Amino acid sequence: MSVEQPPVGSLPVDPALTTGREPDRPAEEIPELHEVDCPDELREEVVLLMSRYPDRHSASIPALWAVQRRYGWCTPAGIRQAAAVMTVTPAYLESVASFYDLLHTQPAGRNRVLVCTNISCWMRGGDELLDAFCEAAGCESEAAGHGGAVSADGETFVSGFECLGACELAPMASIDERYFGPLEPADAATAMEQLRDGADLLLDKALEKRATAGGPEPDPDERVAATETSNEERATRNGSNA
Amino acid sequence: MPETRLLFRHIDEPGLNTIDVYKKLGGYRTLERAYRELEPEEVLVELESSGLRGRGGAGFSMGKKASFLPRGDMDKYLCCNADESEPGAFKDRELMQKNPHQLIEGIAIAALAAGTTRSFIFIRGEYDLQGDILDAAVAEAYEAGYLGENVLGSHFNLELVVHRGAGAYICGEETALLDALEGKRGNPRLKPPFPAVQGLYGGPTLINNVETLSNVPHIVANGSDWFKSFGTEQSPGTKVVSVSGCVQRPGNYEVELGIPTRELIYDLAGGPEDGHEVKAFYPGGSSSPVLTAEDLDLPYSFEAMGDAGSMLGSGSIIVADDRVSIPHMALRTARFYHHESCGKCTPCREGTNWTVKMLERVVRGEATPIDLDIISSVQENIIGHCLCVLGDSMAMPVASMVRKFRDEFEATISAASSLSRPGAAGLAGTGAR
Amino acid sequence: MSPKPQREVTLIVDGREVTAPEGMMLVDAAKHGDVEIPVFCYEPKLGEPVGACRMCLVEIEGTPKLQTACSTPVRDGMVVYSRTDQVKEAQSAVVEFLLVNHPLDCPVCDKGGECPLQDIAMGWGPGRSRFTDPKRHFQKPLPLSPLVAIDRERCILCYRCVRFSQEVAEDSQLQLLDRGDASYVGTFDDRPYIAPFHGNITDLCPVGALTNYTYRFRARPWEIEQAGSVCTLCPSQCNVSFTVRDERVKRVLARDNAAVDDGWLCDKGRYAFEMLESERRITAPMVREGGGLREATWSEAIDRAAAGLREAGRSSAAIVGDASNEEGYLVQRILRDALGSPDIDSRPGGGVGRDRAIELSRPELSAAVPDLDEAGAILVLGTDPLHSSPILDLRIRKAVRRNGASLAVASERPTALDGGATAVARYAPGGAAAFLAELNAACAAEREGEGSPAGIGEIAGLLRGAERVVIVWGERIARGEAGDEAVDSLITLASGLGIAETEGVGLLGVPETANGRGLREVGCVPYAGPGFAETAAGRDSERIRAALEYEQLTALVLFGADPVRDHPDSAGWDRALRAADFVLAFAMFEDSAAAQADVVLPLQSHAEKEGSVTHPDGRLQRARPSVMDPGEVRPGWQVLCELAAALGDETGLGSVPDVLAALAEAAPIYGGISAEEIGGRGIRWQDRPGAGAAFEGLSEGARYVMTPLDDDAPDTSTREGGPGGNRLLLGTYRDLWAGPVTELNPALRFLAPTQRVELSLADAERLGLADGDPVTVRANGASLEARVAIRERMREGACFLIEGTAENNANALLNGATPEVTVEQRATSNEQREATT
Ligand SMILES: Cc1cc2nc3c(=O)[nH]c(=O)nc-3n(C[C@H](O)[C@H](O)[C@H](O)COP(=O)(O)O)c2cc1C
Ligand code: SF4
Ligand code: FES
Repeated sequence: MSVEQPPVGSLPVDPALTTGREPDRPAEEIPELHEVDCPDELREEVVLLMSRYPDRHSASIPALWAVQRRYGWCTPAGIRQAAAVMTVTPAYLESVASFYDLLHTQPAGRNRVLVCTNISCWMRGGDELLDAFCEAAGCESEAAGHGGAVSADGETFVSGFECLGACELAPMASIDERYFGPLEPADAATAMEQLRDGADLLLDKALEKRATAGGPEPDPDERVAATETSNEERATRNGSNA
Repeated sequence: MPETRLLFRHIDEPGLNTIDVYKKLGGYRTLERAYRELEPEEVLVELESSGLRGRGGAGFSMGKKASFLPRGDMDKYLCCNADESEPGAFKDRELMQKNPHQLIEGIAIAALAAGTTRSFIFIRGEYDLQGDILDAAVAEAYEAGYLGENVLGSHFNLELVVHRGAGAYICGEETALLDALEGKRGNPRLKPPFPAVQGLYGGPTLINNVETLSNVPHIVANGSDWFKSFGTEQSPGTKVVSVSGCVQRPGNYEVELGIPTRELIYDLAGGPEDGHEVKAFYPGGSSSPVLTAEDLDLPYSFEAMGDAGSMLGSGSIIVADDRVSIPHMALRTARFYHHESCGKCTPCREGTNWTVKMLERVVRGEATPIDLDIISSVQENIIGHCLCVLGDSMAMPVASMVRKFRDEFEATISAASSLSRPGAAGLAGTGAR
Repeated sequence: MSPKPQREVTLIVDGREVTAPEGMMLVDAAKHGDVEIPVFCYEPKLGEPVGACRMCLVEIEGTPKLQTACSTPVRDGMVVYSRTDQVKEAQSAVVEFLLVNHPLDCPVCDKGGECPLQDIAMGWGPGRSRFTDPKRHFQKPLPLSPLVAIDRERCILCYRCVRFSQEVAEDSQLQLLDRGDASYVGTFDDRPYIAPFHGNITDLCPVGALTNYTYRFRARPWEIEQAGSVCTLCPSQCNVSFTVRDERVKRVLARDNAAVDDGWLCDKGRYAFEMLESERRITAPMVREGGGLREATWSEAIDRAAAGLREAGRSSAAIVGDASNEEGYLVQRILRDALGSPDIDSRPGGGVGRDRAIELSRPELSAAVPDLDEAGAILVLGTDPLHSSPILDLRIRKAVRRNGASLAVASERPTALDGGATAVARYAPGGAAAFLAELNAACAAEREGEGSPAGIGEIAGLLRGAERVVIVWGERIARGEAGDEAVDSLITLASGLGIAETEGVGLLGVPETANGRGLREVGCVPYAGPGFAETAAGRDSERIRAALEYEQLTALVLFGADPVRDHPDSAGWDRALRAADFVLAFAMFEDSAAAQADVVLPLQSHAEKEGSVTHPDGRLQRARPSVMDPGEVRPGWQVLCELAAALGDETGLGSVPDVLAALAEAAPIYGGISAEEIGGRGIRWQDRPGAGAAFEGLSEGARYVMTPLDDDAPDTSTREGGPGGNRLLLGTYRDLWAGPVTELNPALRFLAPTQRVELSLADAERLGLADGDPVTVRANGASLEARVAIRERMREGACFLIEGTAENNANALLNGATPEVTVEQRATSNEQREATT
């Protein structure tokens, strides 16, 4: 990079000519496929994704997901590959990626722990749970509370997160895209261990296992029951029930 | 009063997420009848007269919105809003996870009524499990001929794609959802034009919430009169209400609209732990102005919540009991909207940022009562001035908290400034992160 | 153009009755009632309003919420308030919000004094700030590109710059990154933003966030003056305004003219002004003495020039490059009248003769730039506007993006517009004539999807299906042996599409030099005098070169022309200049023409010159002097008049208007045009009363006869795979940045292209070449060095080189018909080094 411009304060300076600057790197236009060395599976996946929409641009988020699944995060090289397949600029995809919390434009660990610290979870100890995960994973809790932190060993990404849509599990966390709760701070260490060992995670606290809060089905409302009998009648009449 | 389970009927039936179980319990019969026996116009009329109001937040009549779509041969779209990212809301998650076919059936029938041929379910990226379940269910529905070309041999086509978001609350706003679905950053668009006229890819687009669409098969199966026998005149039907926060049995409860709010919070969700009282609650997600214990006997309906100066919104109640610090809760609320502001329009982008900074000073004890006035004034400067209502969604609850709990704010300032450690109030957590 | 009929509506703004066309945005309509509504993000040139900044909130009766005036179309009977308390509060709130994160560094900000944020904060802001918390911080300023600095702290996130990148230039390199109040303007991976129009973002930015390195800290608004003129660095002839301080150009801004440029400038026009003060600028007359050039007085230089030309007499010739109409007129007058020589040309590769030139200039056949906006289909033929006339590239993009035009591209080389095109056909280098013949056949056959090469059927279908077709064609297709045929086919195509009979459609020829059309129309062509007047036939530039080389001509006038660099056959031109007994060069810079001249007379730059030029669509425009002539430089017209007088032609012309009047008298199509009539916005001669009649008079009896198509001619367009073996068909093009501008302007130096040979992937694989490989390209006994650039969308069997580069100029290989070249791997310097060690 060339010489800086005259300093502020010595106005009016008037050098006749600028000192020509040189770009440090080339600009990035839409890359051509032969320039990016895109793995075949990724290319095929992105092509398939594009075919699902009337406009290829719609595939940008799914394509970035594909890049992230493949490389762990939306690497510049991966973005260029997807951009070349989609014939969009890498800047376009980076702009999209940087908008969304789940798409990482920085290296992120192999495992992702998102701890909800929003209102309902906060009331029930979300902050403490986040601290516990940070400690268990070995990452900096201040950073984890502000956009996420990667553990010292580079394996685990821990982040305080906005409401994950599971307030009945408060305090809860999403570990590798699956929800668990309500969690005690002690569960953090257990979960990290299970992750390290490749064991099943906190089975009894998985969202999948939960029944509806209201418990077993109450007797149906009479208006509901009425429709069910009439439905059944109709079905038997038509003999069309599979 | 117990729950009134309509959408939640058989909700914990094992395998309800598979097409076989769903059909065994009567599923897809309405779709079959609609595509084989009914005219789209009939379906539309039924939906309109049912008075079904949108369950995503705004509460607009679903049938009326569908009727705004122009008739005629053009590319029209239906988007199911499954972004569910508002703090306190988790009903759509349970509906999709446990009964995805109910939603697909609803989408297919709504598409028939609105004349749309391409549908999308925009599901928030965090709902990975639910996305997988939907993907599987959609595949089953294609297989069974409920989706695809010539649905059930009719001349109607219907494509359905599950589109996963990637973590941005704003994508729940309907026009931001469209931008996100078009592959852009999820920024809201100017309205007008409204999506019903010019939406996805510039074509007329119907956007409805998961719960709204899940109601559709029931209405078409049983008629609008039957549907209106539930709920109140202005809020017909049932509502899946997410109750969370300081209650003993947080969760989703399906109730008739109009039941006393107290029944939801106390009888169903168990109320606060023994020895504690409800201090405040958001009746319709974190964007609704908070109500207090005095309001517990209000009927839980669109109109009653509106009259009380708040709103039913997405139907999510967050309860704060007497141990919760309201200033900290205000800060949590503001932080959320600050984090989620897309940044497109000035009042929301800068107003949420400024509000957070001021509330942080409040809980650190570095504020003065004048700051409370400025906080209120900034909320006023946000409300009604933004491109979409995300800004208002922060400003309204924050303003309501400062107004209703001003004493506590002032006390927090002085208590915190006399403490060496910031923010000791609150049931759990310092809120000072 | 046929403006859509628009209903006028009446509304009331702040109590005043205002009429405006229906559908106009309220902000614009309010101006009709002298009501100013403040805006930041609103800029109609960028597309649909986005309503993001919220500055323009107003109250509209009947609507409870305040509305954004920038996005609300006016309706009849609308009642609007822009200064009620409610509105004032909202506006002042928005200003307060904008200042939350905006640093108050106005005293050291280049925008200070001409800053919309400053102005609006003064006019509509609260006057005080209640914000006491820390503002957001960014590293500042950073180079966004080598030309533009970005200060992200000052950015108010109005989206103008990123919208420009995405919706106007469509380079999509500049984007918003991150979200919310952390959003910032940036590029992929922090790369520089390098794109040919990117300088426009500095005009668009309403704060000091985007500033030009060429202007930072150079001047304050109260020290400068703005001088309106026309940029004559390319045929786009954009309207510009020079920012002048102390008689020096400090900046070039766009001067919005919807008929020409839509208010955009390319980076060449914007940043090529430092060359005015270049060390290589010639600022005094020079004469050759003892092998070198020495400075001379004007009278000595003119005497020497006159003597040299007098001696050659009818054996003189002239090549005109960059010249105003007046200068061109005088040069041809000296040649024809004073010297009796018809040998004058202004077209680098020659072109068609008088009949065809007249046919192509028919007013009914010619399209105006704004016709592109209304076109249903646009065919871009044989040119890449990005390189040949950049602003047209933007205009075509606008037509496609905003107005739904369908675009077809037919060219030798991939163009920047391919991505937005509905149909693309790639013909072989030099294959325009054959391609057009096939296109005509496909159009006539009414068959779709047929024809070769690929794309022809689609293009035919697209053209036939559209009501309004504009054909943007590169005049280069008229070069060479097949030029006549190509033009004939183009005319056939136009008549087949009924272009002459339809309003608002037509041909738009892109000439090869900035004032190519003007110079043709003032008589700087070998076949016609001013206004296509019949004259003795002369030699075209190729023949002038040959005649000089073989000493049939002995003297040469070069006016703003550097044929060694810019014309085909550099070596031939070099020999020609050496062979000439006398060379008179009018030149701005020390170039190869000046180096070989016997007399060099300095030329004015486009910022110093007064005169008219003619846009490719026939619009006459005026360049006006913005700064004083440096050194001894004098106006070209004056010098030419003196030279004419010295050669015995007392013109009696004492000013530019005099010359224009003389020209207008000599060229009936310009009949009676005056500088006043041209004014600040220009006027198309076709639109002037009497132009049609004048033109008809001209073409009477001149109807040309088409060359019958030669059925046996080798059909280059369909030939697949090119010449075969390791030989490729060479095409050349003039890159936007290939030329002295990138050498003379330090700020633009980084853009100077180095020679590269573009190949298709298949050819590269066949020849065992990879991207970036150093190669030697040989043809016709000449060779040059280049790097391999593999490109998609290339036709197999063809390769491309850049003309006019400082080194390894492709013109060196052009000394005959379309040449076949070989491309061979050259040892890299590394390998060489290894070999030697
Ligand atoms: C900031 C914001 C977030 C929203 N998030 C959601 C959401 O997550 N899910 C939803 O259904 N509606 C959401 N909405 C409401 C939608 O804009 C829209 O009104 C709704 O999807 C329409 O569907 P309905 O009529 O069925 O309720 C949100 C609105 C705003 C302003
Ligand atoms: S850099 Fe300037 S033009 Fe771009 S968004 Fe910021 S303020 Fe607007
Ligand atoms: S100018 Fe209207 S919102 Fe920006």
